[in-house]
Amino acid sequence: MSFWTQTIEIARIDLRVERRLGDTLRIVLPFAVVALLVFPLALGIELAVISRIGPAVFWALGILFGMQVALRQSVTDSQERRDLHALAGVDPAARFVGRIISGGVLMMVFLLVLFLAMVLLYGPALPEGSWSTMLISSALFSVGLAELGTLAGEVTTGLRNRTALASLIVAPLALPLVIGASQSLEALSRGTGILTWVLLMAVTDLTLAVVGVGLARPLEEATR
Amino acid sequence: MDLVQLSKVGVSLGGKPVLRDIDFVLKPGQIMGISGLNGSGKTTLLRILSTLLRIREGSGVVLDANIDSNDVFIVRPLIGMIGHKPALIGELTLHENLLHVARLTGVEEKKVGAVLAVVGLDEASDRRADASSFGMQRRIEVAHLLLTRPRLLLLDEATSGLDSSARDLIAALTERVVGDGGGVVTVSHDQARLAESCDNTMSLTEGRLELVS
Amino acid sequence: MTRIRVLFGVAAAAMAVGLWFALTAPPDTLQGEYSRLINIHVPSLWLAFLAFGLTALGSIMWLWKQKQHWDRLASASAEIGVLFTAIGLFTGMVWGNAVWGRAWDWGDPRLTTTAVMFFVYLGYLALRNAVDDPLVKARRSSVLGAIAVVQVPLVYFSVNLFRTLHQTQSIRPDGSTMPSEMLVAMLINVAAFTILYVALMAARMDIARVEEMSREPGTLAGDAIKAPKLNEVKDV
Repeated sequence: MSFWTQTIEIARIDLRVERRLGDTLRIVLPFAVVALLVFPLALGIELAVISRIGPAVFWALGILFGMQVALRQSVTDSQERRDLHALAGVDPAARFVGRIISGGVLMMVFLLVLFLAMVLLYGPALPEGSWSTMLISSALFSVGLAELGTLAGEVTTGLRNRTALASLIVAPLALPLVIGASQSLEALSRGTGILTWVLLMAVTDLTLAVVGVGLARPLEEATR
Repeated sequence: MDLVQLSKVGVSLGGKPVLRDIDFVLKPGQIMGISGLNGSGKTTLLRILSTLLRIREGSGVVLDANIDSNDVFIVRPLIGMIGHKPALIGELTLHENLLHVARLTGVEEKKVGAVLAVVGLDEASDRRADASSFGMQRRIEVAHLLLTRPRLLLLDEATSGLDSSARDLIAALTERVVGDGGGVVTVSHDQARLAESCDNTMSLTEGRLELVS
Repeated sequence: MTRIRVLFGVAAAAMAVGLWFALTAPPDTLQGEYSRLINIHVPSLWLAFLAFGLTALGSIMWLWKQKQHWDRLASASAEIGVLFTAIGLFTGMVWGNAVWGRAWDWGDPRLTTTAVMFFVYLGYLALRNAVDDPLVKARRSSVLGAIAVVQVPLVYFSVNLFRTLHQTQSIRPDGSTMPSEMLVAMLINVAAFTILYVALMAARMDIARVEEMSREPGTLAGDAIKAPKLNEVKDV
């Protein structure tokens, strides 16, 4: 079967499994919204400051909880499932890209709903063009985090403390994405243009894609 | 042309040698049994034959593909394996598991219904795989292999814990593969059962293979 | 089924009466027409408290008696409670945006504790959804359902515990602070919403009962598994 047929099938099944389990939308997302609620209470800060820090808190929670979304499939992956795909002739690169597509879609939905919740709860003063900037940033952030999550899942396959280890790997490597995403809104507020930050995220995504696809086969060998 | 040729193959896992100097040949139409105690390396050997485990010493060819090369990606769809644990996606129904395999391998989706009926699960196929019994999961694995028609069939304690009808099903699958000109390697700790069902048996002891019969 | 239809009929009539009173009562001089939202906001949250209280009751009774209808009561009530908490929060935010100038006020613990209550019961529903086996589902969610109810008094008394923008209780033992027409309208709507709750509960518990029965009553799980057709293996 063609690379893209396999890729789409892997993504389709991932999303179907997610719909059955509902981890992202029924558990991780409400958890992230509770964190949005608890954050200002714990810090005891004033309303004006809350409005100002809303977008930054959003991206911080986006990366912390987004990692759970990015890693969910890798964490539940078993040796038997990997063997099933390997013996069905699935190209490891197709598996990688399929996972990114499904992870990216889920992450995008997660971020957009969380952003909406942040706007309602924190009431930030968003400049014109915020929503389209938000869409672009979320898309690039989602793809990048899905790539990182999939790669981290692959390199930690079969290891004892996989979940914690994979999170530790993803968090610092996601820094360019967090900086790019949060600074793009800041830049919009200052009127200095978002291109630099969008390019930062796009280059990060592209680099991760090339690394992931290029190393998919050797990585599969290394994890056996 | 032999289906499998391994020459002086050795593998270590976790820094400890598991297999050494393995010479192994499988011819078309042959059913080879491999026995050994628990922990003797039987599963490791099967994983090498399936091309899912790379070797550290020696050389091997499986279905004309050098197992050290990327040619293994081409021949993997011709290899079928029933391992210790069922290779299914738990959150999908039994039917969806087969459809998934059909779509990945390019098999016509309408064959899924036919193989489900043959394995006796056509009325139970809407159950989630993780909510199905071990016997049902094994039957679905057989259904999977009926769809994909492997040339090399690898069975790792495949009949353990199964009722007689499920064991007969696996025997029928084995016959089909052999009838199609393929070969079967079956691994078990039960030497007596192997002697009954296989053309030849070998024993894996201290990391080495020895011909028994 | 007839009983449920009658209940919904009565609820519809009660809601219509409540709506009429809500629209004809004179609006508050300061809040204007937005004050009418109180006829949805307060009954919704009252209903949520009632629902979660009954979830706790159903949970405790299940733990004691282990009878399935208590679990059905608990879960149906939680679902309805979550729905009406969401309605209460939404109407509160619309009202707050119009009257206070902001949809969400971090200085108001009633608002925040209500939102936390919403997520507590969302977690209860997520727990139920994660378990397939009915007995395990009932046991685990009963424990959570019995504990989670502590949120209800926390929400209700939060306005007394903290100095906030939120209105303190309008109806207190020493009398009401609301104009009488508004109070009558609100109380009628509370009654109407309560009847609606009863109707929704009856329907939801009925659906749950039918769902349980439809899981192959009287047939064994193994009956769907047939003998394999060994003579067809070669040619399939």
